[in-house]
Amino acid sequence: MLKIENLKKAYGKYHALDGLTMNICQGALYGFVGPNGAGKTTTIKILTGLLAADSGSITIDGVDALRERQSMKGKIGYVPDAFGTYDNLKVWEYMDFFASCYGMEGLMARKRCAFLLEQVGLEERMDFYVDGLSRGMRQRLCLARALIHDPVLLVLDEPSSGLDPKTRMEFKELLLELNEQGKTILISSHVLSELNQMCTDIGIIDQGRMVLGGSIKEITSRVDQSNPLMITVYSNMDTAMAILRSHSCVRTISIRENCLAVGFTGDAQDEALLLQQLVDAEVLVTSFFRNQGNLESLFMQITDHEEKEVLLYEGKPGL
Amino acid sequence: MRGNPVYKREMTVSSRSIRVPVIMMVFNSVLALVALLNMYSMTSQVRVTAEISYASFLDLYVFVAAIEFLMLVFIMPALTSGSISGERERQTLNLMLSTQMTPFQIVIGKLMSSMVNMALLVVSSFPVFSLVFVYGGIQITDLALLLLLYLAVALLSAGLGLCFSAVCRRSTVATAISYGFLVFLIAGTYAVNYFIWSMAQMGAASYVNQMGGIASQVNSGVLIYLMLFNPAVTFYQIIGAQAGNREVSAQVIQWFGSRSSNPILDAWIPVSLILQTLLAILLLAVAVRAVDPVGRHQARSRKREGRERKGRLCADLPEQ
Repeated sequence: MLKIENLKKAYGKYHALDGLTMNICQGALYGFVGPNGAGKTTTIKILTGLLAADSGSITIDGVDALRERQSMKGKIGYVPDAFGTYDNLKVWEYMDFFASCYGMEGLMARKRCAFLLEQVGLEERMDFYVDGLSRGMRQRLCLARALIHDPVLLVLDEPSSGLDPKTRMEFKELLLELNEQGKTILISSHVLSELNQMCTDIGIIDQGRMVLGGSIKEITSRVDQSNPLMITVYSNMDTAMAILRSHSCVRTISIRENCLAVGFTGDAQDEALLLQQLVDAEVLVTSFFRNQGNLESLFMQITDHEEKEVLLYEGKPGL
Repeated sequence: MRGNPVYKREMTVSSRSIRVPVIMMVFNSVLALVALLNMYSMTSQVRVTAEISYASFLDLYVFVAAIEFLMLVFIMPALTSGSISGERERQTLNLMLSTQMTPFQIVIGKLMSSMVNMALLVVSSFPVFSLVFVYGGIQITDLALLLLLYLAVALLSAGLGLCFSAVCRRSTVATAISYGFLVFLIAGTYAVNYFIWSMAQMGAASYVNQMGGIASQVNSGVLIYLMLFNPAVTFYQIIGAQAGNREVSAQVIQWFGSRSSNPILDAWIPVSLILQTLLAILLLAVAVRAVDPVGRHQARSRKREGRERKGRLCADLPEQ
């Protein structure tokens, strides 16, 4: 549905996007994550026609979005991170204004506005002034505005920032409802736990490149494999360390008292064999488990460039 | 015009704002007060001298016209210079640009709403203007010419405000630059001509001292044509002629040294009105370009690609 290929954008010498490539399928709820300055907002601005790309291509339903910019705007609904309002404008007037920006006038526009305001739960506040609404209500109004022309792709840039947990939950429900109705949604957010719960697909961008992308199930399984193996040794620590150091799947070992965190690349069978080996060598093991992973830990792992793998043994580096 | 969403929204918002009614009330109060004082002084004079000086009623016309001119020149930039940068500051410009509305529609919508607000002010002052017709001396064609000048001036002031509003990120900077440019158009063009004329006069005087001959005729040269962009000079010419000074056009030409007439200088009023309108259109085009960053970037890319293609073609040519 949305295909971005080798997208590049530089601000002077700084490369905000350095060959970004990503695909979003029809009906997906795509979580677009990355650290600050990774290029998320730049990608979204190029996608919504607010910024020009230096090179690369974006196609929506097979149509070149960079060339057919004006007509593509009719296919995309955009919810920015900052929500601007006008003084002295009522909710229905705000909606009516944006309806006319898409060439919708009269009864058709009024019906569409009323339907969307009802969908986002603002039908009783139609005659309120926009600048008098709470932040949560404004965010819902902004979502209704983005849907006014019934776009095929909804793009949200940090929609949850500044919202309280209850409003955030309500907003999430609203997005899930829209996704169930068949809308393809691209959502950029820092609240990874939330994306983990609601997204069907996810893409992690760093330094202007897509570093990891795919379905949330695939990525979660990779997260689990990348988490350390936690082994608590009751006695015979030296033997345990010797076995671990000689094992081909062990990448890193860090130790705190009698608890070992082992970077282990093997699968479940390799884990079982390692445990067997330790027990056979008369190492008393009180616990042996793979740390449960989440998106945050994977995100940190991928985007933390300063992190160095340091092997520690009782505080002495270079084991 | 009614179909422009920005115009519709601006009119809705401004109709709820107290700003335009307050400006209208203050402006008309000043005009009415001056008109009544003028009439009072006329009638007092009649009581004493038993003579009615009908020419004095023209002073009222000149005064009202001048106040309206100043208002158009100085209020229009205030109304427009924050309009696009204000949208940017409120973070609503990107919302509009992400819709199917074009930058041209946005700028035209802003221009039309400010022009309509200004027209409202001009029309509201018609009752005071009509006092002049009670005593005669001014024809409807004179008023039509004055309104044409007002239209050109309003367009130029609005164009200035919108241009700098689109180019500058902050409204305060846009307002300051707009007024700076306006002051240059009105006082700057005059000052530049005066300076060059003074320098030329000094040069001629020393030459005359050396040669002991007759002082040559010096003037500010081609810089006089800069004055065609000065709306105050156009106003001075129109109002001077309407107030009975038939020589005003020739006098203006001779301000910065004597010079022979030519078709451009002879047709000062129409030429200056056309040039000021063209300058306003140019400023509006700059505003449209500045609002659309993608279009600007694409034009730059096309230019770069053209240069590269030309370079490749030159490289491919066989050496002769």
